[in-house]
Amino acid sequence: MSVSMLASQLLVGLSRGMIYFIVAAGLTLVFGVLRVINFTHGSFYMLGAFIGYSVAAGIGHGSAGFWLMLVLAPLAVAGISLLVERGFLQFVYRREHLIQVLLTYALVLIAGDLVKFFWGSQYRSLSTPPIFTGSFATGSITVPKYNVFLLLVGPLVALGLWLFLSHTRFGKICRATATDREMVDILGVNSTWIFAAVFALGGWLAGLGGALMAPVVNISLGMDANTIIYAFLIVVVGGLGNIWGALISSLIIGVGEAFGALFMPDWAVVLPYIITGVLLILRPSGLLKSVW
Amino acid sequence: MSMSWLDRSKEKTARVIPFRPILLVSLLGVAALLPPILPAYYLYLLTTVYMTALLATSLNFVLGYGGLLQLHHAVFFGVGAYTVALVLTKTTWPFWLAAVLAPLVAALLAAVIGWFCVRLRGLYFGMLTLALGQLVWAIIYKWRSFTSGDDGIHGIPLPGLVSSPTSVYYINLGVLVVCLLILYAVIKSPFGLTLVAIRDNPVRSQSVGVNIKRHQLAAFVLSGFFAGAAGVLFVLIEQSVSPSLLYWSKSAEILIMDLLGGMAVFLGPSLGAAILVVLSMVVGTYMDYWLLVMGLILLLLVLFLPQGVLGYLQELFGRKTVQGGERDAAN
Amino acid sequence: MLQIESLAKSFSGFQAVGDASLSVPRGQVVAVIGPNGAGKSTLFNLITGHIKPDAGRIVFKGREITALPPHQVSRLGVARSFQLVNIFPRLTVFENVQVAVLARLKQSGRLFTPARRLVVQETFEVLHKLGLKTSSDRICSSLSYGDQKVLEIAISLGSSPELLLLDEPTAGMSPEETRTIVQLIKQLSQREGLSILLTEHDMDLVFDVAQRIMVMHQGRTIAEGHPAEVRRDRAVQNAYLGETG
Repeated sequence: MSVSMLASQLLVGLSRGMIYFIVAAGLTLVFGVLRVINFTHGSFYMLGAFIGYSVAAGIGHGSAGFWLMLVLAPLAVAGISLLVERGFLQFVYRREHLIQVLLTYALVLIAGDLVKFFWGSQYRSLSTPPIFTGSFATGSITVPKYNVFLLLVGPLVALGLWLFLSHTRFGKICRATATDREMVDILGVNSTWIFAAVFALGGWLAGLGGALMAPVVNISLGMDANTIIYAFLIVVVGGLGNIWGALISSLIIGVGEAFGALFMPDWAVVLPYIITGVLLILRPSGLLKSVW
Repeated sequence: MSMSWLDRSKEKTARVIPFRPILLVSLLGVAALLPPILPAYYLYLLTTVYMTALLATSLNFVLGYGGLLQLHHAVFFGVGAYTVALVLTKTTWPFWLAAVLAPLVAALLAAVIGWFCVRLRGLYFGMLTLALGQLVWAIIYKWRSFTSGDDGIHGIPLPGLVSSPTSVYYINLGVLVVCLLILYAVIKSPFGLTLVAIRDNPVRSQSVGVNIKRHQLAAFVLSGFFAGAAGVLFVLIEQSVSPSLLYWSKSAEILIMDLLGGMAVFLGPSLGAAILVVLSMVVGTYMDYWLLVMGLILLLLVLFLPQGVLGYLQELFGRKTVQGGERDAAN
Repeated sequence: MLQIESLAKSFSGFQAVGDASLSVPRGQVVAVIGPNGAGKSTLFNLITGHIKPDAGRIVFKGREITALPPHQVSRLGVARSFQLVNIFPRLTVFENVQVAVLARLKQSGRLFTPARRLVVQETFEVLHKLGLKTSSDRICSSLSYGDQKVLEIAISLGSSPELLLLDEPTAGMSPEETRTIVQLIKQLSQREGLSILLTEHDMDLVFDVAQRIMVMHQGRTIAEGHPAEVRRDRAVQNAYLGETG
């Protein structure tokens, strides 16, 4: 096992972690501000991938289709999540956690069958756009170009979120709501539109994650269930509601998974759960401070 | 966490209605007389209802009465089923030993998972049950040499005595009745009362001298035990197991049953299980979109009937009594 | 009965309690007074083990109980009632007290005996003492506010404590209800021989029932002694009595 092999596997793991982060960031943001466990987040991810597929396949499999899909799919999913929030979720904010969980789970079931209705149950796949086909090779380290692209997008999204949360009025209100709910009411901010906007932003991130993954995975029914569990694990390990905690745990799990695939390929699926279990036992309330 | 629809006081109302035990005993009598006259398909359906009712009630013990956000109950069910399957296919041990071992293994697993979980509260508790439960799923899914992985184990050999549909029916019915009686007794015992007190007010429970973590752990183990017993029944019915038994969406399904029937009423989850099992088979034979139907049912329940079907019926009924009036004032 | 020696506790830099000392002799009523934010509630939480102190010692009946978990402190004979009504809202009045009695008699873990046949005598005794016997079958959230506060004390008595902590027992009560509570406190201390430690804003009540008074200001004990001494204390007048008139 050469050093260069480890290095390229590290990069692949990091890029996978970036996708996890993009999806988990949306989930943790919604947790933090709305205090809702949103199972539908996985469905938003799946919708991002399917809508992305339709856009890219409609335009043709070239670069134009790819870029357009990255713009349109997340926006469409953000729109859908806005409808979900206004149509259903807003009625259960004052109810028990369990009721909220079950409402979002009802939407998971419905979304799954709707996707089956519109796209059918066979899986779809997209090819990576021409500019990202092939691999970069530096010395003996080779990494697929698309993973390098993901490695750039991830930090960009993180940076964007950070700027947004710490430098805009809206972002500051979000953070205030996450730490102290009453504060916001006292400040006289209308929390209704904050909740709606944050939920849409969460949907946008999930959709972006789905669209970014579309060229490298089988786009299929059931991709929601796996993703939502991973995103939950990441969010819990990172500290509920803490975006930077989600970043750290995404990278840990992404890299752990990549090395797992290298050293014990049969057990790669188990590894994220083991990592999560160990981290939670060591730090039961998450790596970074939870906003709860 | 407040769960306002979990209201033990409704049971008080029920106690003054004299015909309730009579109704239950006659239902049981009818159930016992059905096998000779019922077509095989309906017999199978009812047997599945009994098994599922036990599973749903075992969850409600910790969820409804204990107030613990157990999001991955199916793990104990699946581990119980796998224990029977593995013992019967890999050893020469008799069936009864496998059947006794399964709930115990499930309870042991519940003790391990619960030991980590009871240190956490509310949502964190729920998340950790989910994470650790999925870990168990992943191990069974991937440990191909031992568990046959995602193929599952099929054609599990059962002794002749417990393999005819009629005997399986009676075993399921009998085990359900015995387990429900035990669980009911536990709920009415000091243990159950204290469990409900912890749910209502953990801080206060602690200050009157209750060791709440130990108490909740004990409840968790007990509910794992009965889920494991339901796992045994599953193997009797299907003679096969697969990892999907302990995937998280199975747990969500059990949660829906509890909510559907009503978590504040002891028999609510059983009713929820019956409705969901029957619906899934009926709807499943006519259309491809069973999940959509289940999703819509759940959506309507959550928005309009959070106390569940049986909870709603009792509420309608309870209004007429003095206690019901008091309850309304209380809410 | 209870000795507290230079107890201290900070929350992320803010010193809620610093150098608090106090002793409660057997059978006496001791009041802790001080302005809002003086650290009285934190002091209670430290005694009952809900919060762990940074420094200092708590000794109960000659045994150090510093930083024991709440359920163990309770089992040693320290019970508390809470400032806000803190009961089991969906249980009946009877069951509320029964939970405490069961825990004291180590019966909480019994699995198969119906609860309604256990510790009935003991529970009714407590209810009778506090005049709640007639409403024992009611769901307690349907009680009046005053009765809920009485029930609050009843739950504490269910633990059959030797030391009872009362955190503002009359907060939010009508004068009528307050008189009932005063009667109750006197009765518990004189007839039952209970040691009582209480916090209270109502100065008339404090000087009426307390045999000793401890004054807290900004987390510190600034005076401790007989009511008459405390009343004369210059530091107390400056810090507290003067302010509130």
